[in-house]
This record gives sequence, C-alpha cells and structure tokens, in this order.
Amino acid sequence: MIVSWKWLQRYINLNQLSDAEVAERLSLSGLNHESTQALAGDWAIDLEVTSNRPDCLAHVGVAREIGVLFERPLQVPDPQPPVSGPAIQSLTSVQVDCPDLCPRYTARLIRGVKIGPSPAWLQELLANATGDPTQFKSINNVADITNFVMLECGQPLHAFDFDQLREQRIVVRAANEGEVLEAIDHKTYSLQAGMCVIADAQRPVALAGIMGGAATEITERTVNVLIESAEFAPGSVRHTSRRLKLSSDSSYRFERTVDPVGIDWASRRCCQLILEHCGGQLCSGVIDVGAAPIARAPIRFRLDQIARILGIEIPPATVRRILEALGLHIESEPNGNQVWLATPPAWRRDLSREVDLVEEVARIHGYDKIPEDHAVPMAVSQTTPLDISSQRVRGVLTAAGLSEALSPSLVPAVLSDLYSPWSTAATLSTLQPMLGVLDTKFWNNAGPVDCVRRSLIPSLLELRRINEFRHNLPVELFEIAKVYLPGETFPAEPTMIGVCSGRSLLDMKSVMAEVFATIQRSLKVRVEVVQDSFFSPGRGLRYWIGDQVFGLLGEISRSTQKKMKLRQTCVVGEFFLESLVQVLQVIPQAQRQSLYPAIERDLNFILDTKVRWSELEATVRAVGGVLLENVAYRETYVDAKRDGEGKKRVLLTMTLRSLDETLTGKQADDICQKVIGTCAEKLAAKLVAG
Amino acid sequence: MSLPDFVSQLDALVSEAEQSFADAQSAEQLEAARIEFLGAKAGRLKAVQKLLGSVAAGDKPAAGKRLNEVKSAIESAFQAASERLENVVEEVCDETFDATLPGTSWTTGRIHPITQTILLLKDIMGRLGFTPVEGPEIEDSWHNFDALNVPTIHPARDPLDNFYLASAQLWGNGSSGGADMLRSQTSTVQIRTMQHRQPPLRIISLGRVYRPDTADETHYPMFHQMEGLMVDRGVTMSDLKTVLRLFATAYLGNSVPVRFRPSFFPFTEPSVEVDYYWNGRWVEFGGAGMVDPNVFQAVGYDPEQVTGFAFGLGVERLCMIRHGIRDIRDLYTNDVRFLAQF
Repeated sequence: MIVSWKWLQRYINLNQLSDAEVAERLSLSGLNHESTQALAGDWAIDLEVTSNRPDCLAHVGVAREIGVLFERPLQVPDPQPPVSGPAIQSLTSVQVDCPDLCPRYTARLIRGVKIGPSPAWLQELLANATGDPTQFKSINNVADITNFVMLECGQPLHAFDFDQLREQRIVVRAANEGEVLEAIDHKTYSLQAGMCVIADAQRPVALAGIMGGAATEITERTVNVLIESAEFAPGSVRHTSRRLKLSSDSSYRFERTVDPVGIDWASRRCCQLILEHCGGQLCSGVIDVGAAPIARAPIRFRLDQIARILGIEIPPATVRRILEALGLHIESEPNGNQVWLATPPAWRRDLSREVDLVEEVARIHGYDKIPEDHAVPMAVSQTTPLDISSQRVRGVLTAAGLSEALSPSLVPAVLSDLYSPWSTAATLSTLQPMLGVLDTKFWNNAGPVDCVRRSLIPSLLELRRINEFRHNLPVELFEIAKVYLPGETFPAEPTMIGVCSGRSLLDMKSVMAEVFATIQRSLKVRVEVVQDSFFSPGRGLRYWIGDQVFGLLGEISRSTQKKMKLRQTCVVGEFFLESLVQVLQVIPQAQRQSLYPAIERDLNFILDTKVRWSELEATVRAVGGVLLENVAYRETYVDAKRDGEGKKRVLLTMTLRSLDETLTGKQADDICQKVIGTCAEKLAAKLVAG
Repeated sequence: MSLPDFVSQLDALVSEAEQSFADAQSAEQLEAARIEFLGAKAGRLKAVQKLLGSVAAGDKPAAGKRLNEVKSAIESAFQAASERLENVVEEVCDETFDATLPGTSWTTGRIHPITQTILLLKDIMGRLGFTPVEGPEIEDSWHNFDALNVPTIHPARDPLDNFYLASAQLWGNGSSGGADMLRSQTSTVQIRTMQHRQPPLRIISLGRVYRPDTADETHYPMFHQMEGLMVDRGVTMSDLKTVLRLFATAYLGNSVPVRFRPSFFPFTEPSVEVDYYWNGRWVEFGGAGMVDPNVFQAVGYDPEQVTGFAFGLGVERLCMIRHGIRDIRDLYTNDVRFLAQF
C-alpha cells in the first residue's frame, strides 16, 4: 500500500512530524516500511500490510494508525450527498441470486452527470499514491473518483454506465460455463461455472469484485451512473482471480474482506464527490440487498492477561487510550474488577478475542518495552538416538571420503521408475510439479518433477551424472533423507542412508561395515547375493540384521548405467537408518582384552567355485569355538590345470587366542583339524597339500 | 711402585677405556678397543695388573681392591657399548626417493552445509534446553492448517501454493484423514508433539518443507525450517525475547540486541518478526509469537492454564549468509567441488 503524505493530511495533522519518523513508528507497530519516494511536494510511502489488516489498505486506516501512535485526533468526512431525484427503486432493481458469493450489494444512481477530466487535486493525489506519478493515467472524473474513494477508505467501488445495462437492472449471479466477458482491460475472459458475475438482464457486465466490463464502462457519452458498493466472498474472488490470472486493486481488497459498515459510507462518499465534480442528480434512497452488518459483540478483556502474555505491566489508562484510539468502545464489566467489555469497530474483523486485544495494546505500546534479559528457568535437553546415529554414520562416511549431498524429495517419473527396492506400490505424486530443479539438458522426456521418491538411489545416480558431466571425478556421495513408501492412509517415511561411490563393491562393503560397527561394535550383519537386474549379475547384496532386511549394496548393471547415461559404473547402496537406531549402542562398553599372544594358522582350501566366502567363513567360525578370534580372507587362486575345472583355492588365516593362557601349538593344531574336517564334510573343501 | 702412582695409572686407564668404547661406531672398532684394553694376552688392563707385584706389601690390599673396581668399570663400559652397537644398522640413502613429492591421495568427505547449519542450531538450542522432535513430511491438512488456526478460506491453502498429493480429495479444506500434502511448515510437528505430550515442553523441529516456488537464485521449492516451541505455566513474551537474544548471542558470538516488529501468523497471537542488530544494521531472523489459544484448544491444552511461545526460521538463509553462498540452487545441485568447500 502506497500512501501519499499529502493525502494523509486530509484526515490527520502531521505538523512537526517527519516522514522518516512516521515510517519508523509504523514499521514497529505493524505496517512494515518498504520505501519512501520523494515527489514534488509530497512523499509516497510504501507500507507492507499483512493480510489481517485490510483496513490499512486505505489512507484513512493508515492515518488512524498514525493518530494512535502520535496521539493525534483523526478527522474522517461524514458524506451526506444531497438528494434531488426520484426514488432509485422506481428506476432500477438489483437481484442477487448467489448470496453465498455476494453477501451484500448496494446501488445508488446519479443521473445527468458530465463526464470529463477529474480535478487537478484528485489527479495529483491518485498519481502520488501510485508511487510514480509519471506512470499515472487519469481515466475520467467518475472513474477517478471511484478509485479515490477506494484508496481513501478501502472499499472498492464500480460505476456502470446505467444506460448500457440491458433493461437497466443488475443481476448478481454465478456465471454459466462458457460465458465470455470483455473487461475494461479489453481482454476477453472465458468464464467458468461458479464464478461470480455482475450481469444485466442478459449478459455479464462485470467480474464481481475484480474488474468491470467494457460494454458498461463510463465513457464521455455516459449520462447516468449506477454506483456499486458491495461485498463479495473472499474465497470466490481469489479463486476467480487466480483462474483467470487477473488481479486488481479491487480483488486484492475483497480477498482480504471489506468493512461491512464502510460499504454504505463509501457509496455516499462516492456520490458526494461525483455531485461535486461531475454534477448530476442523486436519486433518493439506496438499493441494499443482503444481510445488514451485524453489530459487533463486545470482547471480555481481563486486564491481567496483558502481564500473563507479555510479561510486562501496562497501566490501565494507557491500555484504554490505545484501544479507544483504535476505535474500540470500552465499558467496565459491572462489578468487574479490572475486566472490560471492549467492542471492536466494524473495520477490524481481525479483533474477536481477548488475546487479539493484548496484541493491539502490545504493538502500539511498543515491543521495545519487553525485556530481553528475563530469567528463563533452566532445563536440560537430550540428543535423540536418531541424531546420535546419523552423526556416527556421517562421521564414518566422511572419513571414508564420501561427501554429504541433499537432493529434492520429488523426482521425475524417469527416476522414480528407475528403481524402487522398498515398495512396489505406485509412487505418490503431487498436483504441482517442482519447477527448475531438474537439469533438463540430460532429459528430453523426464516428465514433470512430481513423484515423491521411494528411494534415494536414483537421486544419487542423477547427482553422479551431473558431476561426471562436469568432470568432477571422483564422485563419492551419500545422503541421509526420508523416502516415502505409499501406505494405507499415510505413507511410511523411513530415513535412509544412501551411498554412491566409484570405488569397488568390496571397498564400499568395508566402508559400510565400519558404519555398522560405529553403531554397535559387535553388530551381526548378514548379506546375501540378490537376483536383481538393477545390479550387475552376482554383484548385488541384501543386508540383514537378524530376520530383518535393512539394506542393499551393489554395483549397478550395464543397462542401469546406460539408462542413467553414466560413463562409468559405480556402487550404490541404501540402508534403513531406523534399523540401526534400534541396535544403537549409545555408550560403547569396554571388553576385556587377552594379554596372551595369538597364534595364526593359514588354511588353503580347494573348493567348488560356487561356494561363497560367507558359507566358508560361517563354517569355520562355527567350529572354531571361543578360541577363534578372527577368520580373515587372504586370496582366491584359480588353477584349472592342477585343481580341475570349477574349482578354486581360497586362502584364509585363523587367529587363535585365549583370554586366560598362552595357547600351545597342539591346541591350535587341534582346532585346525576340526575346521579342516568340518569344511571337508560340509563344503567338500580339500586342504591343499603341503 | 707407590700406591698413588698405581692408582693414578688405573684411573687413567679406566677413563681412556670408557672413551674408546663410547667412540666405537661399529662392531669392528669396538672389538679393536676390547683387545686393546681387555685383551687376555696383551691388553692394557693385563699390563697394569702385572704392576701390582711392585706395590709395597702393606699397600697391596688397597691396590688390589682398586684394581678390581677398575676392571669391573671397564667391563661394564664395554658391555654398554656393545649393547648400543647391537641396534645400529647401516643406513643407505636412496637418492631416487623425493620426500618433497605431494602426499599420496587421501581425502575425507564433507558434511553438507545445510546439515552443518542444522547441527549448529540444534547444538545451540540444546544448550537452552530444547530437544529435537521428528514428524512426518507428508501431512493431512488438519495438521498443516486447521490445527494451526489457518482459516478454511485462507490463501495459504491455495492448491497453487502447496504441494497437494494427486490422491488427496480435499485440497486445503478440512482433511481426508489421510495424506494430503507435503508439509509447508515444520509447525505440524509441534502439533503432533502437543497431541501426545503434556506441558512443560521445550522442543525444536527441524526439517524439509515444501512450497511450489520455481527454483531461482533465491527460491527453491524445498527448503528447511527450524521451529522452536516452549509451553508451560507462565511463559511470556519476555521469555521469548530472552531466548532469542541468547540464541543470537550463541549463534553470532556476540551479545546483540533483538527487535520485534508486529506481524501476522494464524498460529500465534501476538505475532512478530524478529530482527537482530548485526554489523550496523537490522537483519531479519524469522517469525515468532505467543501460541494462539486456538492452537492449544486444537491439541487439547487449556489456554487458561498454559501459555507458550513459538518461533521459526529458514535454515537456508542462515546457511547462505554464514558461508557466503549466493545461489540457493547450489545447495541442491551437489557439485562435489561445491561440497568440498565446507
């Protein structure tokens, strides 16, 4: 809202006040000061008005705020335009078919006006209130007056050329699908059913509360003028305005609601100014259709609530002065001790509760009076297991050279469909896509970014490709974020750890092992090889804790690589963070360490190629007993000539140690023999001779 | 030979022997010194020993005692030298090795700057007694709007201004009782927390929120918010201002004044914008206010019994100012060169 300093002075004495001082005080009491433009003999002050204060979308409203702040009286005109024509009811009618869209409609009629330029003072004020007088175009005296009154009191008005209304009457109704209207901007709008229009007997003549129509606008040939002052439902105005991509000063105000009492004031004020500056005769009476404004109910205001909410005391006399200056009527409650009945003015629909009055008093009295060194009681807080876990995960992954990425939760269908390991249900999608988040030079037909992602892996591959394209190698990334798995009512939103790396599968496997160990030193994690065409054959792993799957890790297949237009293969993984939180050991406990030397024994087995290390290791561990401290993989060697086709040699090292004594060679040999025997029996493993 | 002469010869011998053994730089040198001093046939100790016969008989016990001391001193000097030389390995310099070459490749990753900012915020708020709470990002309209006192006709509910789910039936009006939308604010978590916990409460909720702005230098359709909430008997705006000043002091490292400007949010009353005076100007920090009684009623608290404050801020803005990031999109493009800076 741009206010003209000069215009404000029509309602309040601003002597000895500077524009800067006024702007500062307004800023600190609710009307944020955006800028001030110095004009010839005036200042245009731009104020940001929050949506709850439509009364300040007008000079009178802003003047009232200044009056309250600087304790100066406000003078608002009381328009009583002289009547000299026949009763309006004998000349026209207003029919409202849709009271839910138009709760109230008033009309006054002036006959015999002389259309011409508006007076210089009016043009100047209107021009200055645009903030840039060079851009201002005066329309004509009647149209300028309707705009003046809107900027004066906040009530949008419309003037119709009465003789252009078919059958000289007004019908407020919902538009029919397919009706068209040429507005005064000379664009034609196709109306949709349910939009509120002002029509005459035959056709729409205005978009209610948004813009008038070209057919009935005031021209130099206009003689008789019908003045509309009405209230339109905010939701309906906003809906129509957005659908038609047409907004105006009028729609802006109706969307924020208008002063129900001010409707008639604005109509009279407009007629008064037209009679003064355009001549003509005002028909007697007014057509007023719809509910009369309801008298405001008083608010019970307990003065002790001020200290309860604000933490400071404000003298009752100050409170009363502020509320009365804002237009509230105050009475003490009978027998009430420090309890008032405060009736808000019609233009303050935002005031309906006691706490609203506390805010009014606070903002005018000044928030600077509230101390910032109050003694707040101490309290302790906890770090949550989720935060502890994710920080440990970040610690290991960054130490391993992976950087944390954050990527959008919405992806295009091409990424959503690429891989969804945790849900086969159709992805959730949004009505609006995310705009500007996808690097479109890679994707011709990615589709809108409107799929709520079910996995982090496609997003990480996308980030990898962007980095590959920029020659940012190596690209080592992880992300900790939610995925959204469609469910019955709400989706499940597990937090996932996603990883994407250019190193080998086994390298990443050991990085992840370190991640799990930092959650719980002795965590037992099991893997199995999965059949999944997303991964390179035999190079995808499913991870288990107990009987619960909690993650995947694998090298992407060549077709995945091709679909993602990646130059190089890579390893990706995704793990449920909550599964780790469940087994989080918040405070690691020390274990007793043996003080005795270990004995190492190498075993070189000939095995079927198909035997997996996991089977061999499990077999060795099962028979090794408590003295077996570790089984380490050394190498695999294939020599078909010596061992035959389909065979391989696997070399492992067993570390044997006792907590209580130095092991003897015999004890170690005994364990070796048991291991060799069991491996032969269960895995047909043959020990390499010598 | 007189006793003093004999003793003086012994003293000279022991100091020479100790010197020689200490000077030996190799096993060969040490062996030569051993033969010189301790040699069984022609060693110098042997030679001095022979002189004992010429010492007067009355002085012999004293001379003999001294001789034994010297012998054991020389032997232990030899022992120390041979132990020292055992650990000496001959060093050869490899001229092809260049210790000024760069270190072999080793990189650590970095934590995303948004996460770093969030961790800092959690840390500071933790010191003030606020515990983080988590909640869903996909919400029903009741938690995102109704419980937060957003009227059914409020523009904030507009389908063009929110990421409603295509499956949601009631865009912005009432609630289907199921998933309606991606949350547009983290206040939803406060509602959920208040629904299942009783005051006193000191919580913060941090996380992703969504609004359909087209991505540009200063906008992104996904961003992060931090919201704080304190509810108890007798919580006032003075507590709010004090907590925010303490926060600013911890965050900016300096005691800075806090300013409230009136504002409007449906879920707080009074509502204010919060500014900090920093580097000679007022910097916008975020929004705050006293929890609206309607919000308390929606979650089953009695507004006559408890009061509370809430505040919220955008993490991206703080992060960008903190690290001098000029384009918000850089945060989500994840160029590894960008990430490596933090």
